[in-house]
Amino acid sequence: MMGDALRAAGLAFAFAFVMATRPSGAGGDAGRGQKFYEECIACHSLERGVHGIGPSLHGVFNRRAGELSDYRYSPALKRSGIIWTADTLDAFIADSQQFLPANRMPYAGMPNAADRADLIAYLQQVAK
Amino acid sequence: MATRLKEVDAVVVGLGWTGGILGKELAEAGLKVVALERGAMRTSEKDYAVPNIRDELRYVIRHDLMQNTARDTLTIRNNPSQEALPMRRLGSFLPGEVVGGSGVHWSGHTWRWTDMEFKVRSHYEERYGKSFIPADMTISDWGITYAELEPYYDKFEHVAAVSGKAGNLRGQVQPGGNPFESPRQREYPLPPLATILAGEMFATAATNSGYHPFPRPTANASRAYTNPDGAHFGACQYCGYCQRFGCEANAKGSPHMTVIPIALRNPNFELRTYSWVTKVLKDSDGKRVTGVSYTNVLNGEEFEQPAGMVLLCAYAINNVHLMLLSGIGEPYDPVAQTGVIGKNYCYQTGASATLFFEGRHFNPFMSAGGTNVTMDDFNINWEFDRAPHSFVGGYNVAAGFNTLLPIGYRPVPSGTPQWGTAWKAATAKWYQTAMNIAASGSVMGNRYNYFDLDPTYRNAFGQPLMRMTFDYKANEHKMGQHAANIVNNIARSMDPTKLNPAVARTQPWTVVPYQSTHNTGGTMMGTNPHESAVNKYLQSWNCHNLFVVGANVFPHNSSYNPTGPVGALAYWTADAIKDRYVKNPGPLVPA
Repeated sequence: MMGDALRAAGLAFAFAFVMATRPSGAGGDAGRGQKFYEECIACHSLERGVHGIGPSLHGVFNRRAGELSDYRYSPALKRSGIIWTADTLDAFIADSQQFLPANRMPYAGMPNAADRADLIAYLQQVAK
Repeated sequence: MATRLKEVDAVVVGLGWTGGILGKELAEAGLKVVALERGAMRTSEKDYAVPNIRDELRYVIRHDLMQNTARDTLTIRNNPSQEALPMRRLGSFLPGEVVGGSGVHWSGHTWRWTDMEFKVRSHYEERYGKSFIPADMTISDWGITYAELEPYYDKFEHVAAVSGKAGNLRGQVQPGGNPFESPRQREYPLPPLATILAGEMFATAATNSGYHPFPRPTANASRAYTNPDGAHFGACQYCGYCQRFGCEANAKGSPHMTVIPIALRNPNFELRTYSWVTKVLKDSDGKRVTGVSYTNVLNGEEFEQPAGMVLLCAYAINNVHLMLLSGIGEPYDPVAQTGVIGKNYCYQTGASATLFFEGRHFNPFMSAGGTNVTMDDFNINWEFDRAPHSFVGGYNVAAGFNTLLPIGYRPVPSGTPQWGTAWKAATAKWYQTAMNIAASGSVMGNRYNYFDLDPTYRNAFGQPLMRMTFDYKANEHKMGQHAANIVNNIARSMDPTKLNPAVARTQPWTVVPYQSTHNTGGTMMGTNPHESAVNKYLQSWNCHNLFVVGANVFPHNSSYNPTGPVGALAYWTADAIKDRYVKNPGPLVPA
């Protein structure tokens, strides 16, 4: 119970932080974003049903986190209730452990908000 | 009765780095290749992902990715007067099994061995005279040069995503790199890893002592990377689970996520797992090999796989075993000093100190395979005069962390009780405060360090186990003493709260505890068939369609990790086969 409360607080904090400082994902430069996708591609494919260390990003936008039946997600992600949008992806990519403690993505995060916006703009084009 | 299969152009025995490289290259050149791997298929996504990979008990203590000694092992002794006994538990070294081999569980350290190794006998004789080399030290030149291998080192470094800093670019010494390295044509593909506190403190102390520390080159990608073949690497997360583990972030250069999946997509390439090769087959006059015999270890079914060419790409020790079991080449006899198969088995030596700094927090749980600062002042530095110390070879000195996990890593000052309440309190007190400085040293070939077939013990297939006869000799003892002194001088200059000083090895070598998986020799390369098993292209002098690829071809062992030249030689051999051998099969070097 306490853990959930703390997690919720952390989530709220992450959202507040992100909303205050980040340009919206939709404003990014998709061409530039393709370059930043190199940080993801070793684990995440864009093909439907092709999972690497991480799940496929095909159709990720507006999907509920932990939803694909053929990928083994962390309990943290499955129970998170997150819907993947430009905003939630932005917060997750910035610092995934702060945004969602105990998730299993081995990635330290992309600190630069403009880089993330570009990456998300790219994903919006290719992850359909 | 073995089932005889359809002939292929090439059969690859063992699918790790060398088998993966050769399998991919030859399949792309149009050859029909079958790879036989004794272990299981393993992939990053199914087997090495978080959280299951972070299991010290399974991977470190129980050796999940290693060979099973109940099926095959070695017998071990220190000298020919002893009776060798089977090694029933892995200890001193850890040969890998499964697709990817030891390239899955390595740390990534990738060195360029130089002409100081490749021309060892001529260099020492020229500078110090023939009498400087002891009569029982069986060192010889390798028959290859650094200049020949340079492009292949470069190729392997770019395939495996090596992070590092050049120390010598086309003859110009570069600040921040290893000033003693041989010239390289271009930088490493990736910048060095972050330096951790232990490395920083060592670098400062070594510099203050007049030495030349540099970040260790290592196939842990310091940032996301796509290699020239299009294989994608994530950035290393310094997770602390590197050595003994597959990488959870695809950040460690490994064959199972680079060359092997590319080969598997090629219709010319076929992989058969659980396939244990028991023998290389020869034709009636013994001049050519005709294929291999293998057993499916799941059901015991036996097969004969005919092939136009056989490439032994198993772990170094297993390549030598197969040569002895197959009767290819003359087995080495240390008394008569005849034969070559089994000759010049070499290992490594070392000496290390543990330093304790009260109040420091080293965070040893956070590291990559190669978060390590190294110095080569007593290694490939030819200015270091060996005459006053009368040893051949050298050692590197390094500090940093690599895979220090809670079961195995419990540093405590000397004199601490080894169990009970006092020990527990000490491990809690000192865990965060400790760092190591370690010397890793070369081992030269010796007349009485060798492999042969054991007369008594057999493996699960009824075949003789291979027998290892090995001990450190006076040369290594002298070098170990020198190394221990240097390590302790640097350590004392750092003024630790407590110091467990380095002690040179003088006791006979034993198979416990873990020391190094850098086993070399047994089918050494060289310039002629009387003194070596293979030529400079790793081609058997006896059977020209047999290539024996791996550290088993090293005539001696250096202080460096072997995978750099192992990978480079695999590409070098692949080119020799593609460009020359396939067009005109026969000896690539006249005997």
